[in-house]
Amino acid sequence: MGSDVFEISINFVKMVAIFLLMVNLVPMLVWVERRGSAFIQNRFGPNRVGPLGLIQLAADAIKFLFKEEFIPPKGNKALFLIAPIIALIPGAIAFCSIPLSVPIEISAFEMFGSQWGPYVFPFQSFEIGIGIVFVLGVSSLGAYSMLLAGFGSANKYSLYGALRASAQMISYELAMGLAIVGILIVYGTFDFAEMIAAQQGPLSIPLFEADHVVNKVLGILPNWGVFYQPVGFILLFVSVFAETNRLPFDLPEAESELVAGYHTEYGGIKMNMFYIGEYGHMMVASALIAVFYFGGYSLGTTLDTILVEGTIVPNMSALFASLLNLFGSGWEQSTNLINVVRAFVFHGIFMAKILLFLWIFVWVRWTLPRFRYDQLMDLGWKTMLPWALANTILTAFLMLFLR
Amino acid sequence: MQSTEALVSVGLNHYLVLSALLFTIGALGVLLRKNMIVILMSIELMLNAVNISFVAFATYLDNLDGKIMVLFVMTIAAAEAAVGLALAVNIFKNFREVNIRFFEHLRG
Amino acid sequence: MSELDILFYILSSMSVLFGALVVLTSSPIYSSLYLVMSMLSVAGIFMTLNAPFIAGIQIIVYAGAVLVLFVMVLMLFDLKRETKAFTKGRFSGFLKLVGAGLLCGFIAGAAYESVSLIMATSEEIPTNIAAAAETGFSPTTNSIKEISKLLFTKYLFAFEVLGLLLLVVPIGAVALSRVAGGTHAKH
Repeated sequence: MGSDVFEISINFVKMVAIFLLMVNLVPMLVWVERRGSAFIQNRFGPNRVGPLGLIQLAADAIKFLFKEEFIPPKGNKALFLIAPIIALIPGAIAFCSIPLSVPIEISAFEMFGSQWGPYVFPFQSFEIGIGIVFVLGVSSLGAYSMLLAGFGSANKYSLYGALRASAQMISYELAMGLAIVGILIVYGTFDFAEMIAAQQGPLSIPLFEADHVVNKVLGILPNWGVFYQPVGFILLFVSVFAETNRLPFDLPEAESELVAGYHTEYGGIKMNMFYIGEYGHMMVASALIAVFYFGGYSLGTTLDTILVEGTIVPNMSALFASLLNLFGSGWEQSTNLINVVRAFVFHGIFMAKILLFLWIFVWVRWTLPRFRYDQLMDLGWKTMLPWALANTILTAFLMLFLR
Repeated sequence: MQSTEALVSVGLNHYLVLSALLFTIGALGVLLRKNMIVILMSIELMLNAVNISFVAFATYLDNLDGKIMVLFVMTIAAAEAAVGLALAVNIFKNFREVNIRFFEHLRG
Repeated sequence: MSELDILFYILSSMSVLFGALVVLTSSPIYSSLYLVMSMLSVAGIFMTLNAPFIAGIQIIVYAGAVLVLFVMVLMLFDLKRETKAFTKGRFSGFLKLVGAGLLCGFIAGAAYESVSLIMATSEEIPTNIAAAAETGFSPTTNSIKEISKLLFTKYLFAFEVLGLLLLVVPIGAVALSRVAGGTHAKH
């Protein structure tokens, strides 16, 4: 966790803060969904409780907390109670292992009379060298929450919904894994930070020289993964809809089909935990798409140097330095402050990309009709898996010829 | 080794004993349980124990072949679980019974 | 006692405990859930053995796919008759205990003794994790590259045969569970 007290405490605070970030983003997402769906359907959403209806979610959370705890008498009590907890955990753990910004480098400084050495804090809860393999594994554990919830409620419809949902989830994990394999072939590393670093610079085709007119024209665009793997992007994007049981793949939750699927018998705070888990998975999926295909927390080298490093970071650090000068002195020259502000600005860029993808999730949900179950399984096995395989083979050949 | 040192510093011995314990638990599950699915699960437990042993040797002998064997063993275990479950589902559909004592006498 | 030692003891006792519970529980669904916990503990043990890639693959393949399949099949079966896990009888029960103890003792003793044989053949093998960590395990990214290099050169034939196996097994599974007339046939 760290070598001395300062590092250990900062790491601990960081872990808690990132977890709370994920959990607190969920009410915001629910608000976005309700207002956004209302906007798409040409009606008002909740707009009475507080400005723009923002406090509606707090009211809903309090209402959920006070609801009656109902456990089906014939069901399996232990499994019924464990399932919502298992729904929360994979999304949280997976989100904690994705780097949300540049690492913060703190050089040696003095505080409380002793020297604290130079540190490097990665902007994630824990750092595992295998990156994407861990995230894939932990996301696939989300299937257990559906199965246990469906089995623990002594309800035929819940069981059917649970079996359908988990079968759908493990079918689309294949296409998702193969799309990710395409990206791994392009970048050659499992680590997220290295993938983001490889997406700096302008786009170019290695066959032509740097001065060729094709490369000059393409150089306007940043070196993002979506230009290297367009088919992979579409495959991953569709697969994560199926993984998180969002429309158009949400037959297991459809009201006209299965009442409410595997969370029929749940009410109150346990139902809320399922939603936190679903939105957590959506956040992890958006973060993955942003990291793989859209450059993560960076905007491409030219915009980075001009906009971020040139204007935003110095201005904001000057602002904070003038604020902190009320407490101490000499904060303008502190490179530590500039590093911290820089990390948070990049984090803001990353969150903007994640929020864009989350809005696309909400947008698609309220626009498209849902698939029938056999159409869904046909799509997963007969369409997406062959396309993913073809994408992998094509990428491997291209990488072989271009190296 | 001194007895306290054997407990305190974990070495290759410990991983092999762990692997042996898991393997015997799995073997006992295969021999003593009557439910067909639990027998399949005990087979998975045995394969896991073997995986631990492979990776421990790979780490301690600074060799990568053990880790590659683990990949092969995992793939074969997954394939065998799939086929075993398909067979179990077929048996259940035909006989409505997964207790192996029912099938002991080669009848029918 | 370093942290890796404590972690090893916690994870190994968890995996042995859950493994024993798999065999001893009479309800098959609880058995499968205990097996999931055991697999996750074994993934943790792979992490302490400095093989994070294998740990990730263990979670993806075993805990995330194979055991989901087991749990789904068990939920479809809906086994109502939960008779006792083991056959009855005091003498057979005693024989089972004695046999279990003997088997356990044989294998554990053999494993323990074999290590001294291996140590006798080579002097440079470090005997505990801390010492081995100092001699320098290869870092993760290097070891994944090395694994894949070995996989595609030395073990290429086995790799291709494995691909063929993965092709044959789904065909076999589908052929075993085929219903006359296809999926949409009326019974």
